[in-house]
Amino acid sequence: MPEFPALTEEEFRRLCEYLYRRSGMIFTEAKRYYVERRVHERMSATGSASFASYFACLRINARGENEHFINALTVNETYFYREKHQLRCLTTDLLAERIREKRKGEAIRIWSVPCSTGEEPFSVAMWLLENWPRVDDYEIEIVGSDIDTKVLEQANAGIFGKRSLMRLSPDLVERYFSPMPEERWMILDDLRHSVQFSAVNIVEPGDTRIHGHFDVIFCRNVLIYFDDASRRIAAENLYENLLPGGFICLGHTESMSRISPLFEVRRFADAIVYQRPAGGPD
Amino acid sequence: MPLVRKPANHSPGAKPDASEVLQLLASSSTDERWAAARAAADVVGGISAIAAALPTEHDSRVREAMFTSLARHATAESMDALIGLLRSDSANLRTGALDTLRILAGAAPGLLPRLLSDADADVRILSCELARSLPSAEATHLLCVLLAAEQEINVCAAAVDVLAEVGSSDALATLNECARRFGESPFIAFAIEIVIHRITSQSTPARA
Repeated sequence: MPEFPALTEEEFRRLCEYLYRRSGMIFTEAKRYYVERRVHERMSATGSASFASYFACLRINARGENEHFINALTVNETYFYREKHQLRCLTTDLLAERIREKRKGEAIRIWSVPCSTGEEPFSVAMWLLENWPRVDDYEIEIVGSDIDTKVLEQANAGIFGKRSLMRLSPDLVERYFSPMPEERWMILDDLRHSVQFSAVNIVEPGDTRIHGHFDVIFCRNVLIYFDDASRRIAAENLYENLLPGGFICLGHTESMSRISPLFEVRRFADAIVYQRPAGGPD
Repeated sequence: MPLVRKPANHSPGAKPDASEVLQLLASSSTDERWAAARAAADVVGGISAIAAALPTEHDSRVREAMFTSLARHATAESMDALIGLLRSDSANLRTGALDTLRILAGAAPGLLPRLLSDADADVRILSCELARSLPSAEATHLLCVLLAAEQEINVCAAAVDVLAEVGSSDALATLNECARRFGESPFIAFAIEIVIHRITSQSTPARA
């Protein structure tokens, strides 16, 4: 990577203001080194000779640079039990609220969208089996959806590499997976068959509506990449997909309040989530 | 295992036809107005029907859906509707219209020059913010044209604030001239000083 000069104070401030406005991510001087390294990586990748020319390229989103830069900042990868605090929040707070309105044996529907290669919906399933004492009292339906049918094929196959399993204890790996050659593991058939996978484009109302209503939606690290119009449409679609009082969990750098006023913010001990108000349009 | 797997397809319900959608914008049911607001943009006459319904819509979620529908189509009709709402007495409607115009600004090249030369200073102030989403060279040019002739100090302040983020060195002469014209105002002089410092501390002028 070529040597680039350090960002001036003004350049860093400009960049941080832009990032906040565009994505809601907040970076302070304490993160200067981290941000600067990513800027220099992207300047190198885009052939930008100066910060000014890179910033101009970022602002007009030349060749999808917004997505590349946000990817570099958020280190977006998927693995089992990622953002475990949200899973804790699911069992400690969210489901506790949802079951107040449900009789024993009723359905609880959970949607992971986008689900990529399946780590998230399978994590939800494992987490519930391991950590929610009421798991046997309800019919729990977990749906994983993604726009990319290739990743859905992988999700359906239920085969994962070492990196996907890095946050799971050896005990969990042993109980829920069977080892395969070349450091791969296959998730148990019972678990694999308990998650329904489907294709969806979340900015397409016709696509989202056929998935029905959910108690909890995990929609992490996708809205951040959309343009403003698509974000608003996606937020309205997801609103329709939630039951009144249902919850939506976003990625830790995302904020629904910056996208849409449709939801109420709920602050729990382990996570901030967004709730469809009990009243309001269906 | 308590986890169950069911077919994913749920019936989305019957779709109302076009004339029904337009009528439902005035329904007494919030649910029906919400659904109509979301569907109306795809119906002939839907944009004007939304524009007519927006000023009297009292439910904030239905209003939001109406604005999103307008944002989906960068037509003269939807922009005229939104520009009209910039003059509304309701802060909610002005803010909603501004947010929606921000989405449309990039797709409608003639929109911003028109707004920045509007006779209403409040519209010009709100419109400066729309330049923030444009490429630097275009935003700098439009805001400099405004600054060169603008008599209202608050409009200049709004333009200067946006130039702090998007301005290039092409704005320096206009900024200096603006500071001179409003020399009696310490605030504008201070704001311009900061913007000039920001622009000149960049290593190379941004051209894109």
